Amino acid sequence: MSWFNFSWQNFWFSYLALAFEGLPFVLVGALVSGVIAAFVPSRTITRFLPKNHLLANLMSGLLGLIFPVCECGIVPVVRRLLDKGLPFSCGVTYMLASPIVNPLVIISTYAAFRGQAPEWNTAIRLLSGYFVAVLVGLSVIKVNPAKVLRIGSGRAALQRRSVLSIASLPDAGPDNLSATFIQRLTAAIQLASEDFIDTGIYFMIGAAVAAVFNTAIDQKVILPLANNIFLSTTSMMGFSAILTLCSTSDAFIAVTFVSFPIVARMAFLVFGPMFDLKLFFLYSVLFRKRFVVLLGVGLFVVIGIISAFILPQVYAFVRS
Amino acid sequence: MRLFAARILNGITLLGLGGVLISFCLKGRIDQYLHPQFRPWVLIGGIAFCVAGTIYLMAKKSMNCCLDGECVHTNRQNPWRAAAAFGVIVVPLTAGTYLSKDGYDKQVVLNRGFVQDISKLPARNSIGSPNVQQGIPPGALGADQDERASAEPPLPQDTSSGAPPKALAKASEPPQTDGKVDDGSEQYLPRAADGNVALEVTDLLYGESEESLRKEFTGKTIEVVGQYLPGSKPNEFKIVRMLIVCCAADARPIAVPVQAGKTVSVADMSWVKIIGTAEFQESGGGKAKVIFKAAEIEPTDPPQDAMLY
Repeated sequence: MSWFNFSWQNFWFSYLALAFEGLPFVLVGALVSGVIAAFVPSRTITRFLPKNHLLANLMSGLLGLIFPVCECGIVPVVRRLLDKGLPFSCGVTYMLASPIVNPLVIISTYAAFRGQAPEWNTAIRLLSGYFVAVLVGLSVIKVNPAKVLRIGSGRAALQRRSVLSIASLPDAGPDNLSATFIQRLTAAIQLASEDFIDTGIYFMIGAAVAAVFNTAIDQKVILPLANNIFLSTTSMMGFSAILTLCSTSDAFIAVTFVSFPIVARMAFLVFGPMFDLKLFFLYSVLFRKRFVVLLGVGLFVVIGIISAFILPQVYAFVRS
Repeated sequence: MRLFAARILNGITLLGLGGVLISFCLKGRIDQYLHPQFRPWVLIGGIAFCVAGTIYLMAKKSMNCCLDGECVHTNRQNPWRAAAAFGVIVVPLTAGTYLSKDGYDKQVVLNRGFVQDISKLPARNSIGSPNVQQGIPPGALGADQDERASAEPPLPQDTSSGAPPKALAKASEPPQTDGKVDDGSEQYLPRAADGNVALEVTDLLYGESEESLRKEFTGKTIEVVGQYLPGSKPNEFKIVRMLIVCCAADARPIAVPVQAGKTVSVADMSWVKIIGTAEFQESGGGKAKVIFKAAEIEPTDPPQDAMLY
């Protein structure tokens, strides 16, 4: 039997399932983005962030607790926040952390690992995701946003390269103090609609690619990798990139890979929400392709190292 | 003019998308694609898309969304991009509406491989030990419904890890003991209309690791519904169900081997009802392997929920 067996029937079924599951989440992200654009003054976004680079990034990693958006909807939100003056590095930290450090994911991870030390597995996932997000955020502090953001993405970040500057541009339209609530609400819906369309294109392309991989590739070709800690970790990260699951539900999938060690499954749960096929296309809305590729490679290496070398020690401690 | 065309196309995209989602919900097709806890969001999303599309088309563009002439919404004024959005989002979804058969063919089952060990199902393993779940799930032998409900987490759940096997959980019919002495647990076995014990594929697999279930199932006439997949011999095949956690994209095939007395000729992946008995062959460590001995095999309609959760 060939390793690649494409069938339209299987493709349509998987593709529609991914679309039906993910599109409402993309819409939620776009709505959050629209509401932020129409109702949240620029200064509000940055007011809470400390002046110190490290502290600002540490705080940004926790923004998902306030704006709980999964990875499907995070791009329009981050684009809007950058537009509102969120420092670039903090935007990257929030973008990577929010799909993991958010209440819905905490609950779903805990539920999925029920009977399997859920408190530890949930905590390890959260802390790993938070640590990686902050690490990547800090590593791009010196990056010039103008060189990595696509034209039109986050004007404030492009115009003020200082990492912690607060947006000072006058807010047009929805931020106008004279705008009524109805006007703001209408503007929020219009902006959300446009953000959704921008993001939805890439989501649907990612879902189509994932549907092909999900249904056409013989998994027996991949599964023997499970016996080696390094190969299992990297292959699980590869799975997560291919499967393009939503972070609110991926823990339920991860626990099914019982032939893989727990650290490999944790790599799946940390890497997937930060970078997968769908996100590759979604991030391309915000960043230039070269940065997206570098981000993916960097995350793969960092999470791979943490999962293969640090997490086994953590789990050994937990077991003890 | 360009702005007007882009606006119309974007509005139609949102309305079309909303229409597809609502259509799948109203026709009940969504049941084949998603776990029940995700389904309401599709309807809500569909309505929200329609509302957003209507407002988008109707509302007066009185405010600028972007500052100083550099708009992040490049599609807003570009009808070609709006057309691309329509082509990428709405056209494939609409095509899928007509072309999808709301199910997989056998190639996906073969590509993904069968789960024939209940420990391979979600949430059966722990950090320290590979098979930590001991004892029967609380509802399996008739735990109180409310007690089980309180043990259920609020998010999409699998059929393992404390949750009872599905068929056993929904048992509500009065006991039919066929004249046998009722030991108190048999009354919870679900029954088909003809009095046979009606089980799911997952129930039989639970029996492999739970001796108490094996005792309940052994010797009884059992009815199982699933999809037919041929085996290596003419009289052997597998009865398959797909188990999903969130949506059909993560479906995993669960199979029980079946032996029939004669050659079986049924189309691959067609739905069949099999009546027979379950035989459990001890495999050590308190476990067993199940083989279903089929006495009758007949085509049947797919169950309302083709997927198991």
